Amino acid sequence: MIPLSHFLFISACLFCIGLYAVLTKRNAIQVLIGIEFMINAAVLNFVAFGRFDANGGGGQMFALFAIVLAAAGVAVALAIILNVYKHFKTIDPVKTDTLKD
Amino acid sequence: MLSLLIFLPIAAAILILILPSRFEKVFKHICLGVSIIQFLLSLFIYLNFNSGTSAAGISNAGQYQLTEKLPWIRLDLGSIGKLEIDYFLGIDGLSMPFLLLSALVMFVATIASWEIKTNLRAYYPLFLLLNTAVIGVFCALDFFLFYIFYELMLLPLYFLIGMWGGVRREYAAIKFFLYTLFGSVFMLLVIIGLYFSVTDPTSGNHTFNMILMMDPANYLDGSIFSAIANQELFGISARLLAFIVLFVAFAIKVPIVPLHTWLPDAHVEAPTPVSIILAGLLLKVGGYGILRICYSIFPDAAIQSSWWIGLIGMVSILYGALNALAQTDLKRMIAYSSVSHMGFVLLGIASATTEGVSGAMYQMISHGALSAMLFFLVGMIYNRVHDREISSFRGLSELMPQFSAFVMIAFFASLGLPGFSAFIAEAFSLIGAFTSVYLPEWMAIGGSVGILLSAAYFLWTLQRMFFGQIRLKGGEEWKTTLYDANIREKIALLPLAALALLLGIFPSLLFDKMNASVLAFVQLITG
Amino acid sequence: MPVSDIQIFLVLPVVVLPLISFLFIFAGKKLNTENLALFHISVSFLLSLYLFSAIWDKQTFHIQWSWFSVGGTEFKAGILLNNLSVLMMVLVSGIATLVHVYSRVYMKGDPNIHKYWAYLGLFCFSMLSLVISDSLLLIYLFWELVGFSSYLLIGFWYTRDSAARASKKAFIMNRIGDLGFLTGIMIIYQQFHTLDLTLLFAENGFMQTSFIQNAMWVSDTSGMPEIWLTIAGAVFFLGAMAKSAQFPLHTWLPDAMEGPTSVSSLIHAATMVAAGVFLIARIYPVFNPQVLNMMVITGTITAFMAATIALTQNDIKRILAYSTISQLGFMIMALGIGAYSESIFHLSTHAFFKCLLFLAAGAVIHEMHHHRDKLGLDFDFQDIRRMGGLRKRMPLACISMCIASAALIGLPLTSGFLSKDAMLIKTFEWASEQVGILKIVPYLMLLSSALTAFYISRLIFKVFFAKPDVISSPVISAAKDAPKQMTYVLLILAFLSTFLPFSLNPLSYEVSWLWSGFRSVESTQAGFYHQLIPVIVNAISMLLIILAYLMYVNGKYSRLASGEGLLFRVSSGEWYLNQFYSFTFVKSVEKLAELSWRIDRYVIDSIVLSTAAVVRNISDFSRWTDKNIVDGAVNGSGAMVSKAGSIFRMLQSGRLQHYLLSILLILLTFLILTFFI
Repeated sequence: MIPLSHFLFISACLFCIGLYAVLTKRNAIQVLIGIEFMINAAVLNFVAFGRFDANGGGGQMFALFAIVLAAAGVAVALAIILNVYKHFKTIDPVKTDTLKD
Repeated sequence: MLSLLIFLPIAAAILILILPSRFEKVFKHICLGVSIIQFLLSLFIYLNFNSGTSAAGISNAGQYQLTEKLPWIRLDLGSIGKLEIDYFLGIDGLSMPFLLLSALVMFVATIASWEIKTNLRAYYPLFLLLNTAVIGVFCALDFFLFYIFYELMLLPLYFLIGMWGGVRREYAAIKFFLYTLFGSVFMLLVIIGLYFSVTDPTSGNHTFNMILMMDPANYLDGSIFSAIANQELFGISARLLAFIVLFVAFAIKVPIVPLHTWLPDAHVEAPTPVSIILAGLLLKVGGYGILRICYSIFPDAAIQSSWWIGLIGMVSILYGALNALAQTDLKRMIAYSSVSHMGFVLLGIASATTEGVSGAMYQMISHGALSAMLFFLVGMIYNRVHDREISSFRGLSELMPQFSAFVMIAFFASLGLPGFSAFIAEAFSLIGAFTSVYLPEWMAIGGSVGILLSAAYFLWTLQRMFFGQIRLKGGEEWKTTLYDANIREKIALLPLAALALLLGIFPSLLFDKMNASVLAFVQLITG
Repeated sequence: MPVSDIQIFLVLPVVVLPLISFLFIFAGKKLNTENLALFHISVSFLLSLYLFSAIWDKQTFHIQWSWFSVGGTEFKAGILLNNLSVLMMVLVSGIATLVHVYSRVYMKGDPNIHKYWAYLGLFCFSMLSLVISDSLLLIYLFWELVGFSSYLLIGFWYTRDSAARASKKAFIMNRIGDLGFLTGIMIIYQQFHTLDLTLLFAENGFMQTSFIQNAMWVSDTSGMPEIWLTIAGAVFFLGAMAKSAQFPLHTWLPDAMEGPTSVSSLIHAATMVAAGVFLIARIYPVFNPQVLNMMVITGTITAFMAATIALTQNDIKRILAYSTISQLGFMIMALGIGAYSESIFHLSTHAFFKCLLFLAAGAVIHEMHHHRDKLGLDFDFQDIRRMGGLRKRMPLACISMCIASAALIGLPLTSGFLSKDAMLIKTFEWASEQVGILKIVPYLMLLSSALTAFYISRLIFKVFFAKPDVISSPVISAAKDAPKQMTYVLLILAFLSTFLPFSLNPLSYEVSWLWSGFRSVESTQAGFYHQLIPVIVNAISMLLIILAYLMYVNGKYSRLASGEGLLFRVSSGEWYLNQFYSFTFVKSVEKLAELSWRIDRYVIDSIVLSTAAVVRNISDFSRWTDKNIVDGAVNGSGAMVSKAGSIFRMLQSGRLQHYLLSILLILLTFLILTFFI
């Protein structure tokens, strides 16, 4: 039996990698991938906690729910990225800094 | 009654402010209506005025007529006592004639305002405010109220000169401002000093009531202006000092030499209606203040300084006349002639005789009408060609016969031709000064030389501008612009000429109304 | 027939009717004012005649109304008719009527004729009112009005510069006298507290009951130092001097000839200038011996000076003006020596013959002017050198003028003989009681009288008898006698210049009704002067007339008349008084005015302006402190805030990743703070 802390450790690693990608990557797709990493870290946590949940699979269910939401979110995000590209001719988040004003 | 007279213009001013600007054309008619109503009211007051000795006024509050007394400010100041300021109005023989004069001069000034074309919505309310203040000054019997009206006059005047004035209006305004500031600041100090010296015998409070200030019994023992205590300030008697301060404040208005130089500049820069009011009424406020306040409250100090006041009067007469002789600008010449004529007022007042004081009062009324007429006439010519230099005109009587006839009436009336009011006024001022025990005889004789000089400058002007062959600076072009007097102008001039003539032939019209007050006044100051 | 109160309605129209003529000025040119004016003045004259017959030597009439009161003193207005006033009334209204008739022709066609009648009405009104007034204040009032109407009439042709100047000069010089009058009124008022003539000057009036004690002039009500009595007399006399053109205030009268000739004859010869004499006569008790002597001296100097000037003038009206001045000097002198009735007598006779002289001269001028303009020539139509030989052309004018001149000279059978000799006789009688310089007065008067004979003969001979001038001879030959209306007037006046209206005996003034009307005491000194003086005077006069004839008609002694020599130049330069005045008084007043204007400009104004400058500097300073110190503090804090703002602003880079990073950091900080501290 793999103890819970291993899952959590993996999940934390995944989250940190995702966070790093989100904060540093110069490509929106890569940022999106980072976000996916972070969501999946959360999903992993759900599944792991669900394994140790005594009464029923609430964790599994939330995990599935989150995966579906993430898929939908990726679709929306990709659409936004496409639009950003159309508008700015780039998907580098450093250059799309019009929020400033 | 008096409140109605005072606040009617304010009501009209508010009306003008409210009305939308498409009614701009009727503003002047509103203003004219107000002055006509005021004139009728004051005529009514004049006709119903009680001129008996039991209604002499001066230092007796019960003898004032049409009094209105309302407690206005009653502020408890703790240990200093209760602040007692009344809304106290009333008239006697010294102030009643001025009401009539004010209404008449305002009427003429309103007609003269026809020439004002810009910013009417500001002009007329200011004009009406000035009207209120002037009438208020003549009616107020509470020193505080008097001071408020007195200062209130300056505000609209400042703007009227400053906004509708001539080229050098800023210069004139700063001069005017400096002079008046100099006067009123010290006056306020004296008012406060008087306030702390005088108590109301019925309530025991300190009071601003002028009439109570005239009675030595109302002064607190040992207070600064008490006649008995005879306190000293800077080495001279406090009462004398206060008298001098108040005298200077009012004398600036009169004006006296050497405090007169604001007057020619203000006149030259002011638009015609303001000149009319300035000469016709504001100068009289000075004379009235000297009679009502300086002399009545500080009679002892007044008698003490008679010699100097008489001298100032004589010097003003001669100096003003000589200056008028040297002028090349018609309006400036008339402004200086005002200085000269107002000198008679001082000379008459300084004499402290019934003849002299009556003459001084008469001179103020007469000069009010005549100077309004003179400035109106100058305004007429300035309006037509925008030039006032005497040397630019010649032979005008050929070109503008009716205008010239009015000029001749005004000039001859001003130089004291018998049959016009100024003659009676100047004769009695001089007779009073001559018979006075306080003034040496040579002052009256010196003053009478002013009559000679006034003949010289008026006739010289007449000869240079109106007689001879037509020769105008503007050539043929001016011949068409210099049209004769029109109906509106004649309506303004006729009442003034009629008043001067009427008062010259029937002096009793005025003397009868003020004799009792003048007698009481002389009684008060000579004791 | 006594004049009762009801008949006051007869007195008032006398003065009011001419006033109505004046008021017609407001009707403008629409009305035919000349008939109305003539009607008014003639009714006024008839009423005056009636009043004269009722009052003369019979009674005095006095009525008063309250006019106004000042303080406790009441001033009354009223009418006082006695011998003097009714005489003046008849004189003024009578001559005025004649002048009205004359003017109808003389002034015909003037574009401002309606004004002429109006001004004339104003003059008659004020002059008639002046003579019937009963208080000094009223007299003063009309005194100035008379001066005013004279101003208007002198300047009647106001488009001429010279007329405008002359009218101004006349008014201002009269004002000098008015000042004297006013000062006199002030003195009298202080002393007696009334200005009523009857109260003051009647028998046992205030003036008589006042007395001199311990160098004080004491009356019932008050007292003044003695000197004031002399001053009062002197200043009243100053008033009379200006009005009656006495030396040194006479220079306005010759200039006043700028007015129409008819006006000159009425105002500046017959009536207004006599107002000064009238005033002195009215208030005679005021004058003490010092002032009377002053009058004698002034009158003598005036009479002599004017006569010498008249010798050399060439303007016909100017000669007559100087002659008037000279005659007025005679009257003033006579008043000074106490010859009251003689003076008034001369005033009346002079009024007629001098008026006639002017009107006849006017007729001549009228013709000269008219024909000159018609012929298009250019010369001065009032210059006597351009005239000559008019005797044949204008015989009636010549005759009447000769009669008037005879009266002026004082030849027998004329009115002037009576009055002038009366004055001269009195003068000699008076001088016999004097000592010192006053002794020469009668001789100077005699000399003046002789000069009179010469200058007026010169005028007559030059105008009517001498050969016509080359330039103007076409004009002369075209001239003819004036129209009927004018000529009638001349003839009436000529009659009035003879002895007949005044005395039954052509050689003795003592039977004259006019003279005895004013005689206070029976003259007892029927001394030898009575026979001697007239003879001497006439002998000298005749000699001089002959001399003048030889000089100006026969052209002898041309060196005398040539205009060389100092005396001649002084005379024709009118003693250079005009130049002297303009150099001293006028210039100095102008200088003084200039000076006071400079003082105003540079001294008083610069004080005010330097005060203003000080105030301005103070306010500049306070503006500086305001900007740098007070505002500095305020602005400093503002600047700090904005600095901080811009620092924080840098956080807002607009880059999503930065935002996320900061969210993370804040979250972390928060967590750390929550869980570890």
